[in-house]
Amino acid sequence: MDLAVYDLKLHRGRFMATVIGVGLLFTIVLAMNGLYRGNIYEGLALINITNPDLWVVERYRGGPFNEQSTLPEFYHYSVKAIPGVEKASPFIYYAVERPISGKSRHFSIIGYDVFSGLGGPQKIYAGMKIEQAHYEMVAHPKLGVRLGDRVPLGLHTYTVVGLTREAVSSDGQPLVYLSLPDAQEVLYQKDNEEVRNKRERLLRTLSGQGNLSPYQSEKLLPQLQSDTHIINAILVRLKPGVNRVDVARGIEKWLYLSAFSTEEELQLMLKGRLASMTKQLLLFRTLLLIISVIIASLVIYTFTIEKIQSIAVMKLIGAPNWVIIRMVMEQSLLLTIGAFLFGLALIHNTYQLFPRTLLIAPGDDLITFIVAFAGGILASILGLWQALKTQPAMALGGQ
Amino acid sequence: MEILRIEGLTKIFGSGHLEVRALEGINLSVSEGDLVALLGPSGSGKTTLLLCISLILDPTEGKIVFDGQTIFQKNGWGGVDIRRIRREKIGFIFQAHNLIPFLTVRQNVLFPLSLVGLRGEKAERRVKELLEYMEIADRADYLPALISGGEQQRVAVARALANNAKLILADEPTASLDTTRGMRVMEWLKKIAKENRSAVIVVTHDVRMIEGFDYVYQLKDGRIIGERTNSTLH
Repeated sequence: MDLAVYDLKLHRGRFMATVIGVGLLFTIVLAMNGLYRGNIYEGLALINITNPDLWVVERYRGGPFNEQSTLPEFYHYSVKAIPGVEKASPFIYYAVERPISGKSRHFSIIGYDVFSGLGGPQKIYAGMKIEQAHYEMVAHPKLGVRLGDRVPLGLHTYTVVGLTREAVSSDGQPLVYLSLPDAQEVLYQKDNEEVRNKRERLLRTLSGQGNLSPYQSEKLLPQLQSDTHIINAILVRLKPGVNRVDVARGIEKWLYLSAFSTEEELQLMLKGRLASMTKQLLLFRTLLLIISVIIASLVIYTFTIEKIQSIAVMKLIGAPNWVIIRMVMEQSLLLTIGAFLFGLALIHNTYQLFPRTLLIAPGDDLITFIVAFAGGILASILGLWQALKTQPAMALGGQ
Repeated sequence: MEILRIEGLTKIFGSGHLEVRALEGINLSVSEGDLVALLGPSGSGKTTLLLCISLILDPTEGKIVFDGQTIFQKNGWGGVDIRRIRREKIGFIFQAHNLIPFLTVRQNVLFPLSLVGLRGEKAERRVKELLEYMEIADRADYLPALISGGEQQRVAVARALANNAKLILADEPTASLDTTRGMRVMEWLKKIAKENRSAVIVVTHDVRMIEGFDYVYQLKDGRIIGERTNSTLH
């Protein structure tokens, strides 16, 4: 005779409400799992997709994603000259916030040498890669653009020639690929009024020194204008059979730069920018699991307390302890498993709606289920303790 | 045949100046088919005696012989599975009916049968029999909360009878019922004693309810102060 089910049938409204309540907590736990995986996936996706043999960045910097790195663009020629390097390609990456289709959007721009092939998108699901030196872009659909859309950025308008969804930036924002000069222009090119103002300020400063004539100042001015030929990293492809470590040491020794393999770049991200968020998410989901178990435990305890008189009667008429243990534990497991399944169904049907990528992994679901199951058993302990210490005398009005 | 014999049963709660002698040298013998009443005012020790007879309270001294087996003496319960004795040989009827609220009438009667391993068609047939015997078969699928107090008490009686208990213990079974319904329950108990040959011990403080009982024991301050048999009752 399944006492637990009969009891829950009578209190099905309250039981369902509890299942939904605890289930929503499990939904958050599962969402946190997805967010945890998604955070790592997003943080590493661009590195994994770009995947050059070496990332060359400013010396002692862990750039270009984990830390800012700034290099003059022409450095890639020097890198190309290092023995063992087959191809060295400039790369620029930065986050911006610009109006797109009338809405202010936060996104990251990648500028790469569209003709060398390093640093660009690998899989275009609609349209094509950038094939011209200027005014073409490949974007992530999360930006809210479609193929053929014309998007004004800075001084120029760019046509969306391709769409890719293979990566987002490490903070989950959509990516926009531009040719290197276009990306540099969007980033560094000043507004015309600002350029004029700056020229005027410099001229006055130079002329005010009294050592230069206005003509000399005018001639000197271009040298003092801010340089837009700046990049963040140089992507290197090695010649076949070359030892990567040797080339990296060569770049570090002769060019005073830092060089990392893709694996090292991944580790830099994991131990750097991603580490605190990853720990935070791990802590959150642990706390939420504990809270879920505590709530389930209190609910089961309340369910048990309400049945104390019946439990006393059962004991008096000779029910063995296992009948009572089964009833309490079965209710606890029905509650936790029901809540888990509700949470699982909800998250599997809604994860696409979350603004950040939720990477739902079956392994994580299984581990959460095992923890929930163990939690269900744990949750029943309080109720079981109360049930087992109930004296049958209570049914007869004794203590 | 003797079902229950109690010799020199004493129960002391506390010790020193807090010592309370709830029962003092109780002797009692109940045979099959006997209808026994334990009478007494509040605090007289009725419930304590019932708890000892129910095998859920350890006496301090004395001896309990149940169905020919000594189950309690000086050294305690002596390894007897008292819960098993309760589920197989004792039926309980309570003042507040104490039906399990989340089980239907049918399931309440089925429950003690399931505890002794009786299931399926055989168990269902036994439940039907009992409910018909207690004239409550039409309420079989009702939850206890949906039937009257008198009906609930009849279900409780059916539950107590389920395993052909040798001893039925009834604790103030009429206290929550009006006189007519109370009398009716008592009639049922008499019928059970007569037809089932179960020994029935009823704890009550209502003397109107004990007409026709075989033995009446009057308790006061933990002692039996009066004992009457059917022949001396009036």
